Parts: sequence; structure tokens; C-alpha cells
Amino acid sequence: MSAKSKAITVKGLDKQGTRISSKNFDELVQAAARKSNDLILETFGQHNVGGRLHSADGKVSVRLKGPAGQRLGCMGQPGTTIVCEGPASDDVGYLNIGADIIVKGDSSNGVCNAMAQGRVLIGGSIGARGLTMTKWNPDYTRPELWVLGSVGDTFAEFNCGGIAVVCGVEPKNAKNVMGYRPCVGMVGGWIYYRGETDGTYSKNNAKLVKPDDEQWQWLMKRLPANLEALGRQDLLKKLSVRAEWNLLMAITPQERALMFSGPMPMAEFREKVWKPAFPGGDPLGDIAPGLDRSHIGAIVSGDLRRKKPYWANQENAAPCTFYCPVHIPTIDRLRLIRDGKMDEAYELVLRHTPFPASVCGAVCPNLCVQNCSRDRLDERIDVAMLGRSVRITQPPASKKATGKKVAIIGGGPGGMNAAWHLAQEGVEAHIFEKSDKLGGKLAQVIPWERLPKATWDAEIARFLKMKNIKVNFGVAMTKAKLAELQKQYDYVIVAVGTHEPRRIPFPGNERVIAALDFLKSIKDEKQKVKVGKQVVIIGAGNVGCDVAFEAYQAGAEQVTLVDIQKPLAFGKEKAAAEKLGAKFRWPISTKEVTAEGLVTDKGELIPAQTVIISIGDIPAVSFLPDGIELFRGWIKTDKTGRTSDRHLFAVGDVEKPGLATDALGRGKIAAGAILAEIAGKDYVPFQLPLISPDKLTLEHYCPQPSAGSSQEDEATRCLSCGTCRDCHLCETICPTQAISRQKHDILGFQYVSDDNKCIACGFCADTCPCGIWTMQPF
Amino acid sequence: MVSVRSLPVNPSSLTYHDLPWIVQHREDRCTLCGRCTSICPTGSIFLTYRRQRMPKVGLTPGAPNQDQRGSAYRTFMGIRQNTDLARRCIGCGMCAMVCPNEAITPAPNANDPRTPFLNNQKGEAPTRGGRRNDRNSILDRISFNRISMLTDPALDAGRHEFSCNTILGRILPPEEFLRRQAAGEWIPPTREIFPFIIGSMSFGALSPNMWLGLLQGVAYCNEVLGIPVVMCTGEGGCPPWVLRSPFLKYIVLQIASGYFGWDEIIRALPEMQCDPAAIEIKYGQGAKPGDGGLLMWFKVSQLIARLRGVPAGVDLPSPPVHQTLYSIEESVMKMIQTMSMAWNFKVPVYPKISGSTSAKSVLNNLVRNPYAGALLIDGIDGGTGAAYNISMDATGHPIASNLRECYLDLVAQGRQNEIPLFAAGGMGKNGNITQNGMAMIMLGASGVHMGKYIMQAAAGCLGNEKNRCNVCNLGICPKGITSQNPKIYRRLDPDDVAQRVVETFSAIRTEIKKIMAPLGRSQSLPIGMSDAIGIDDKHIADRLKIKYIC
Repeated sequence: MSAKSKAITVKGLDKQGTRISSKNFDELVQAAARKSNDLILETFGQHNVGGRLHSADGKVSVRLKGPAGQRLGCMGQPGTTIVCEGPASDDVGYLNIGADIIVKGDSSNGVCNAMAQGRVLIGGSIGARGLTMTKWNPDYTRPELWVLGSVGDTFAEFNCGGIAVVCGVEPKNAKNVMGYRPCVGMVGGWIYYRGETDGTYSKNNAKLVKPDDEQWQWLMKRLPANLEALGRQDLLKKLSVRAEWNLLMAITPQERALMFSGPMPMAEFREKVWKPAFPGGDPLGDIAPGLDRSHIGAIVSGDLRRKKPYWANQENAAPCTFYCPVHIPTIDRLRLIRDGKMDEAYELVLRHTPFPASVCGAVCPNLCVQNCSRDRLDERIDVAMLGRSVRITQPPASKKATGKKVAIIGGGPGGMNAAWHLAQEGVEAHIFEKSDKLGGKLAQVIPWERLPKATWDAEIARFLKMKNIKVNFGVAMTKAKLAELQKQYDYVIVAVGTHEPRRIPFPGNERVIAALDFLKSIKDEKQKVKVGKQVVIIGAGNVGCDVAFEAYQAGAEQVTLVDIQKPLAFGKEKAAAEKLGAKFRWPISTKEVTAEGLVTDKGELIPAQTVIISIGDIPAVSFLPDGIELFRGWIKTDKTGRTSDRHLFAVGDVEKPGLATDALGRGKIAAGAILAEIAGKDYVPFQLPLISPDKLTLEHYCPQPSAGSSQEDEATRCLSCGTCRDCHLCETICPTQAISRQKHDILGFQYVSDDNKCIACGFCADTCPCGIWTMQPF
Repeated sequence: MVSVRSLPVNPSSLTYHDLPWIVQHREDRCTLCGRCTSICPTGSIFLTYRRQRMPKVGLTPGAPNQDQRGSAYRTFMGIRQNTDLARRCIGCGMCAMVCPNEAITPAPNANDPRTPFLNNQKGEAPTRGGRRNDRNSILDRISFNRISMLTDPALDAGRHEFSCNTILGRILPPEEFLRRQAAGEWIPPTREIFPFIIGSMSFGALSPNMWLGLLQGVAYCNEVLGIPVVMCTGEGGCPPWVLRSPFLKYIVLQIASGYFGWDEIIRALPEMQCDPAAIEIKYGQGAKPGDGGLLMWFKVSQLIARLRGVPAGVDLPSPPVHQTLYSIEESVMKMIQTMSMAWNFKVPVYPKISGSTSAKSVLNNLVRNPYAGALLIDGIDGGTGAAYNISMDATGHPIASNLRECYLDLVAQGRQNEIPLFAAGGMGKNGNITQNGMAMIMLGASGVHMGKYIMQAAAGCLGNEKNRCNVCNLGICPKGITSQNPKIYRRLDPDDVAQRVVETFSAIRTEIKKIMAPLGRSQSLPIGMSDAIGIDDKHIADRLKIKYIC
């Protein structure tokens, strides 16, 4: 074949005038193309015409003279030129990869569907879905679609690089030359158009712009030739008005990522639409005026915190102070010792009790340290040792006499401590004691083995040195005497204890010695007490143990303590008795006591030459004025020890049986109530709450193999529950440096948290060894 | 050396691994910045000091230090969790969110936590907010199987114009409609709304920033995007200025047994610029059927109290039932008529009931009532701000079969197009909101209400069906969604919520199209198009009268 071969005409109808099928027509065309590159096709609606045509020089001319079928130019090759003089059907240029296809009339749907290269010129308008799926391989030229008229709906869907030029000349719909909703899914290429549209192009895929210089030149460079190919050079001037042309450009994914946040920024909506609907712009402006609802972060300080730290120094009691009936502040004493203020430490204790050595150091079971926090770490503080260490012989200074006087009936621990506290405040305390010595049962009954005489004598001597205290011995109390005292004194405190042994009227009870009498006689140096070799003690409490101990001392060989219930004895007393061989038997009820011993209700004889009963003592209060309320023999009092007579108090065992330290505590309270009343104030009892054990941080300390052996050791070991020990740990751990140590006029120092730095993490509270920092809701 | 007193054990003593969430803290990463303990909503975590004993116990004769037998100690620090049930870790993970070093996170306890046995302290039956803690969802298993493949022209979700909206309100049969129109008679009001509705969550259950953020987002959807989303107020009234705003038309006002906030609504009637979208009468709630709402005192702030017309700081229980209504007939007549009349019969009024085997009885009453606008059925998987665990966990009826039965009942009467049914309760519980909603629609619902999903999507609610967080009842919501404490709810920016509402509804709209297009539907929601769905369980398929697929 040569470039100038003779044209061949292929007919679409056979000799009988019947339409040749598309399949056969294609075979005829392919055969003709092997002979000539100039084909005239008298088509009769055959499909897929004009494609897959090759020639040596690459040029093939196809002229259609007849009705075109579907897919004109399907799979058209570069170099092929197809001219259709009239209109064409669907899918012109389907899968075209290079042919020039010129349709002088209209064309229906699907023009350029999936075309990758080449050019399609349409002299009229086209139907729906033109330029759909159009491709562009950058190694080749871009496919082009020129439409003189308008395009139908859904134009350029998924266009991937094709260029369209829609001239808008004699459009099918003058109001909308681009059809409804073009450019859906379009990712490449661009579309020139002129004329009106409905603006429904896909905003996510295409943007509407004006052609720039380069794009305008591209259009103008091609326009004359294309108009000529369509035979419409007359339109050149009309179509050369730049201002009339628009361009729909594909949006890049990068552009889309930036733009796809809705058509209006929310801040703009808030200002333009939301706020204007409400007076002042706030929907809650009427019911919550000024309510700040502005955005805050997650970690906040200042007033936005939900809790805040509080330095609760000395606002909770340490267990030692809390559980001691006298509330002796052992932790304060140990803090003074840590600070090297030994004398102040002693004085502090003596201000609370005249008997640190005799009671704390000897007879007291030390309720204070039974709950010592240090016990959870290793061993409790040795408070008895601390008590015995108070060796100063002078009482604390007392205030000037106020002229007020209080009579105290009974010189036992309760009465003495009442006197001790009244005297310190300048109130004269006159003690009226029935016997010839002070101390009540401490002096009369407790064995010297448990309360060393030297210690006792020293503390009595110190007591007697206290100003404002006067002691009268050998005063037996009567109703008349009491009435007299009540006239002479501002207040009277009854502290006579219990000195009437309780007995049981079983047969032979007259053979039984009362424990009280027994112990008193033992301690009375003037008497020489004898006991049998076998001794039975009825009542196995701690007093019974003391009796057992003394019975052994007095020559007994076997002591048996019997009780109707499990013995209540505990601690030092029980240990001392057991060590000497005392036996405890229970439950045993006594039927009778004979010369042979004690007979139980089951008939068993427990041999004994001496039987002692130790089931407690009761008060002897016949001297009380009529009308003072009693409860089962004991004087009825309120929390401060006041009886039904405003100016008559009762403290110690006469009120309620207890330990020596309980009596000391009651004496202190009664004195406090009287002092407050004299001063015209309300009495404020000890009311600090007990510190919660889990507030302390014990892990800051290491367990030690044994308890301390000196005051200084114990001062170091003390955990200072509830009182700041000035360790700086809070200041150190605070992650925002909110906590600082500052000087304080009264306390000396304090730790302060800066609200503007604190984020309320609670680390200070979690770290504080003493349980001071507390997180409070805020 | 450890006193027994320091180790109390009682029936409720727990270790950290008896709790539902175990706080995992890496001491090697922790910088001790305090943020985790600062943010923790329950105060569960705290700084601890730990002492480690390091005994010297060498036995080699003659070795150095042989005579220094004893113990040394090392102290280290860490973040630990409280084992007290009242302050247990709820797994919200805010600690992890604020940790600069990824040093801390709660991990779900893979073993059986002991809490279900002990969460009745002081004789109080356990309550919580949130959800049922059941990940099962049959809606998740329904798939859309009738795909247009060559048999009919496929639609393109991106190209084609879809009508995704639904109708709320009574729809008259065509002949009746024409007759009434010609005769100039009353025609029941209807609304064209988006079929995914923000379900009733009260101003009170939600924080002001959350509630107003939702409304702002709804307004944007309507006015900027043209998506006609509506939201329901729940039983807490509506801020007076919102009632007088143009946004009222996007709001369904709820009236419930507590009648909170209705005085303000009635006061606002003469000044309303527009009618509300609808009135919802709550008779029951899916999460706690037979139980009324309960706003605990710590959520009754000054603002909430003002809005509800009550004193601040008191518990606000709603009665389980409307106190003066004794029968379905009376309820339907009395309340629907009253509410309809308030807006001159121009606003659709419909009841909301708990999913129940008795739902059909209610429905049949509504069918006969000329003013009833719809029926909303709330299934057992619905969420709530506060409920007894037993109500939430075990009381109620799953929505799918309940709604399906009702729909088929209407079909049997030939009236399925007259009374729209709406479904709620567990929509999107696992995140598949559009799939769940469209499955319900094809089972017969005209639309679905969603609560938990929108909280999760729009405000980042941390709750899940594995008991994470779920403390909406306590007012300590770490995201500020359900708290009335400004120190917490100010963490939530209403603009952000609104933005997320917009994003969520935009996406739902796209997904609806992606479901409708392959079905070949574009111009009406496929309500009741049950031939298009299937499920891989024969029993469920039989019960729902849909295809069994495998």
C-alpha cells in the first residue's frame, strides 16, 4: 500500500439490499484496509466501525457515507482519521487510543468512554456520560473531546486526564450547557466551557476557574483547525472571547485533603448562624448569665482543680496521744528531744501528769503505744522507758494564786492529778486524805516490786513541792464535814476510789480474806502477814495476780487462782504470777470455803489454808449529801466528772473502776472543766481525731532489728504521726515545684502549696511520712 | 516485722487483680509528673513508695562481709491503684492519655473480677451508667445481599441523586389524603427527616457543652449541608432561649413521667419562632424498662435545677410510669391529644416505649388513634445515664425481632406505610451505625435513634461494651460529656462536638448511599425491604422472616 492509494468503498448493504452484520462488515473493512488507506464506508448502522486499522505509513482515512452505528472509532488507532458527515450513535471513540474522529452532527451517550488518546470533534451536542472513564497515559498525548454544542448529564465522570472543550453553541439546554452533575469522580484533566450551567458539578472533584494564559493559548492554538475540520470557521470570532470561557479543573488529592471539612468552617457557622440566634450569643444567657463554658485542658491548676492539698499539721492525733487517757503528747515530747530540748520535753510530760515514772514507767499497761504506728514497721516506742527517764525533781512552774480553792477528797491518782492541774493554773487544791499517805491504791496496794519505792517517793516529794497544793492526812469524811467543805471551797472533787472489798455470801465466807486488805497489810511495814502453804485466790484478774505474787513472797508454796470465767489477767501482773508457779483454773464456782480449803459447786476440794477473794472493790460514799445520783453504788457523772451537784465533781474509781492512768485522766478533765468555768469559758475536751493509719508513709523508714534503748533512739524512731517533722519530702517530690517551706510566726515554719502551680496530683499527700498533707475536694 | 494489724482482711478485701481493670505502671518509664493521678476521675491511682528488703545471706566462709549479715533496704516509687470498690479503676484510660512517657495504662482483667459479688455494699443494688456490656449484636450480622448485578441498572452512590430521608408523622392513605384535602379537613402533620436521629439524652444527663454542641452540629447539618437531622431533648426540658430560637425546628421535645422543664416549654409557646420537629412521649426506656430516669444529686447543678424547675443538689427520680395514666387507651388519648393540641395539631406526636412482648398492643392502639404520629421502640441494648445493673443487663427486649413483629403486624393490616416505626437500642453499639440502622430500616423501621454512638463519635465517649468507664451516673465523665461540673465539662469544646456531629452525619449519608446504590434504590429509603437482607443464622432468619445465608 502506498500513501496515495486509491479510495475503496465498502458497502453496508449486500446485493439484495440487506444490512450486512457488524461482524461481516468489519471483515470487509479490514480487507479493504489492507489494500488502501483511503476508505469510504457506506455504513448502514454497523457498530465498532473505524477502529483497529493499520497502514505502513500509519495514515488511514475513513469517511462515513451512511448512518453510523454504535461505538464509532472503537479502538481507533493513531493515524486514523474518521469523518462522519452526519450524527453518530452511542459511545463514539470507545476505547480510542489515537484516532481523530470527526462527527459533524450530534452524538448520543457515552462519547469518549474510556478513550485514552486521540481527538473527538462533535459538530453538534452530545448525550449523557461523555468523557467518562477517559484515560491519559503520560507517555502519550492527552485525549481531547470538542463539542460545539452542549453535553448531557453526568459528564466527565471518573475522567482521569481527558480534556474537553464545550463551546455552548446552539446548546440543547441554553440554561445548562454542562448537564446535571458533571465531574463526579473526576481525578484528572480539565474542561473548557462557555455558557450557563446549573452549578451542580462535583465540588469534591472539580474546581471552577478561569483559564490561565497557558490554557487560553492551548485553546486558541487548536480552535481554528478544529472549527475548520467541522466546517464551522464562522464561529472563530464568536468563540474567541476569553471572558466567556470557564474551566473545570480536577482537584488533586492533596487539595482535597485540605478542603474537605465541610463547606463552612464551624467557627464561621458559630459566629454567623449559631450565636445570632441567641441574645448576646449565649443560649444559656438567661438562665446562667456569665457561666464560663470555655474550653480548658485536662491538667489544670488554680480554681479549675477538683481537689487541692491542705497542710493539716497537728490536726490529727497520733495514736499515743489519742489513746492515753491523760492524752500525754508523746510525739511532741520526742520532737523536743529530737530538737535537743530535753528539759522542755520533761516539763511537757510533767504538765500532764505528776507520775511519769511511777505510772507511765511502771504500773501503766501503756495504752498509748498499744497502737503505736511504729509497730507496723518494727516495734512500738518504749514509752515506759521514756517515763522512767523523767528525772527532774522540781515540779513545773505554776501560775500566781487566783484565790479560788478546790477541796479534793481522797489523795489517790485521780485526786492528785486534779490537784496538779488546778495548782499549775493558780487554783489552790486542798487534799483531804483519810490515811496517812498519798497515792491511794498505788501506795497502799501495788507491790513495790512493780512500783519501785524510790521512784514513788521521789515523785511524791516532787508532788508536794508543787505550789498551791496542800494535803491534810487522816481526815475521815462525813456528811457534815463535806457540807462544811462545800461552803468553804469553790468546788469539791470526790476522789475516794473504791476501798470496800466486794464479797460473796457463800458458806464460810468469813474465812476469806479480801484482796484489798491483804495487799494493804502486805505494804504496811508495821504488819507481818502470814499465809498458808496452799493459797486459793477467788478472782483471777490483775489484782488477783498481785495477790498471788505477794502470797508467794509471804511464804506460800502453791497459789491457785480460780475464776468463774476465762481469767481477765494480762500483762506484767499475770507474767509475774505465772513465773512464780501460780495456776489458773476456770470455770469454777465456789460452793463453800472450809478449813480444808475451797469446795467447788461440783464438790471438788481445792486445798488451801488461806483463801483470798479478789473480785473487786466498791466505793464507800456514805458521806455524800443526799440527792447525789449514784449508779449501782458508783457516783453518776457527766463527761467532765461533774455530779448532779454543779460544784461537786467525782473522779477515778469512785465514778467508774479503771486503771491508775484512767484516774489520772479523769482528774485532769475535772480540773480542766473547773478551770474553764472559773475563767468563764466553755470547757474544750481533747477532740483531735485519730490519724488514719494509711495516711502515714512508712516506706520512708527502714525496719530496725530492735527497739531503741535511749530517749534519743526513740525520738529518732518516732514516726511523728500527724505532726510535720520538717523533712522537706513534699517540697522535693512536688512535680510542679508548687510546695515551698516558709517561715511562720507561731509554728516557726509551714509548708505552703502555690495554687497556681499545683495540679492536684496528690503526690505530697502520698509522700508525706507523717500524714499531714491531705487532698480536699475543691 | 509486719504487725498483723496492718493487714486487715474482710469479706470485701480485694487485691488489684480482683478488680475489673488492672493499672499497669512502668516504673522504668515514669517521670513522676503527677498528671495521671491528677486526671484520674475516680481518684483510683496514687503515688506509692515501696520498700524492698535485700538480705545479706552469703554462706561462703571467709568471704568479704561475711560478718555483716543482716538486711539492707531499697525504696522505689510507683503508681498503684486503690482496691477500695468505691474508688476502683474504671478503665477509662485518661491516665494513659495524659502520660508523657506511655508509662501507665489500665488493662482489662482477663480473669474473673470479684466485683460482681461485692458491688452491693451497704445493701445498695449496683447501678451504673452507659450500656449493657454485651458486644453481641445481631444487627452487625445482617448483610445486604440483593445486589443489582446486570439485572437492573446499578446506581452510583457518588453520582446519583439519593433521597435518604424518612417521614415522621402519620401518613394518610392516598385516597383519604385527597378526600381530606378536597374537603379542607385536617391532615396529620409530617416531617421529612434524616432517618438517623440523635436519641433522647437530656440536658442534665448531658453536660451543657455536650448538649449544645450536639444541637449546634444538628443546626449545621440542616442549614449548611441540607441533611435534615433532628435530635430529641430527653426528659430535661430545653433551654428557654433555644425554645425561642430558629433551631427549635430541629428538636424533638420529650415529655416523660418526671415532666421536668415543661413549665419553660409552655411559657415559651407564644414566643416560639417555629414549631418543634415533634413531641416524644416517653413511656419507657430500653435500658431500664419499668424504671424512670434518675439524675443523681451531684449532677443537679444550679443550671440544671434552674432549667428543670427544681432546687439544686437533690436527686431527681422520674416515676417508672406516668402517674395518672392507667391504661394504654387513656395514655394514648390523653397525652397525644394534649401534646398535639399545644401546637394546634401541627406537630407530630408519638410515644416511645421499651422493647417488650406487649409492643404490638401499644401499636394497635396507635393505629386506631387519629393523632398518633409514630411509635418508637427502644430495645434492651439502649444506653442510659443511670440505671440499676439488673435493669440494664437483663430487663427488656432486643429491638430487632420486636420491631420486626410490629412491622409485620402492620403489613398484615396493610397499614405499614401509615404509622412509621422507629427503632432504638444498641444502634451502632460496635461502631457499625449505618449498617445497623439500615438493617433496622429494611426490617421495617422508618428510622433509628442513636445515643451512645453519637456520644462516642461526636465527643469521644470512652465507654464500651466491655465495661470501660460507664460512669455517666456519677458526674465524673472524664471527657465532660455527662458531667455537670464545669471543671470537667469545659474539657469539651462545643465547636468540636458540632464539627464531629457534622462529620458523622456526612459519613452516614454517604454510607446510606453505598448501601442503597447496589440495591438499585435511590428515591426512597428501603423501609421493610427485607428481601434484600440475610443473616448467617437459621433461627434468627426464621424469626425475622429474612433470608438465611451462608
